[in-house]
Amino acid sequence: MLPALTMPAETNTKPDPRLTLHSRLDDLSLVWPWVDALGAEYAISAQTLFAIHLCLEEALSNIIRHGYLTHTDKPITVECKATAQHNLLFTIEDQAPPFDPAAATSAEEAPPPSSIDELKVGGRGINLLRKFAGSLAYERLADGNRLTIGFTIRG
Amino acid sequence: MQISTQQLDGDITRIMLDGRLDIAGAAAIDLKMNLIAGTARKLMIDMQNVTFLGSMGLSAIVIPSRAVHSRGGRVVLFAPNNLVESVLRTSGINGLLPVYHDFAAAIAALQ
Repeated sequence: MLPALTMPAETNTKPDPRLTLHSRLDDLSLVWPWVDALGAEYAISAQTLFAIHLCLEEALSNIIRHGYLTHTDKPITVECKATAQHNLLFTIEDQAPPFDPAAATSAEEAPPPSSIDELKVGGRGINLLRKFAGSLAYERLADGNRLTIGFTIRG
Repeated sequence: MQISTQQLDGDITRIMLDGRLDIAGAAAIDLKMNLIAGTARKLMIDMQNVTFLGSMGLSAIVIPSRAVHSRGGRVVLFAPNNLVESVLRTSGINGLLPVYHDFAAAIAALQ
């Protein structure tokens, strides 16, 4: 019996604008290739691509570790949209308890520790998100949260 | 994420990191970093091949560095790229763990 003919995989397809994850840290490995494909699609600079990776990792890991806690099968969606103003907007939606990272950061701003012994292990992720995002917008949903992170990609 | 070590003159341990220091990368090096930090007194963390650094990656550096400091040792960071260094700066880590781009200067700081 002859093997079935298979069509070669299409290599030039556009990345899907929407990514769905489950609330487990392992699923963050899906984000890297997706963002890299978007980077190629929109010719994003290395600096902006780094910031996108950083902000998505911090925002998503925060939802998984602090929002969903022990639940590993809850949904998180990330949607990417380019605007006419050369911005790339990543909208993250979850069904976790209310949490506004944009508001939480202002309370987090404390004087820097004077020695490494005083340095807290956690709590830096939200600060990095706020500093590396071009824009941050939070919206409370009926059953979750919506966070939109924006980046300027050209001009 | 790859991690390797090299013993240098002057009882200096050089940890060479290679890859993305994201959540998966941090998990991959945590154990070895802490084992090294359990005995080293002069530690150079060579970051020239680190292509990404997130908050969990920062923790993977800070926790072992704190262990070395608590035993009276010293830690320096060597040659992070501009983007990785911007994360160190934004977090204020560079003020606590000195960053060197010149190898001889990094060695001298550990003597």
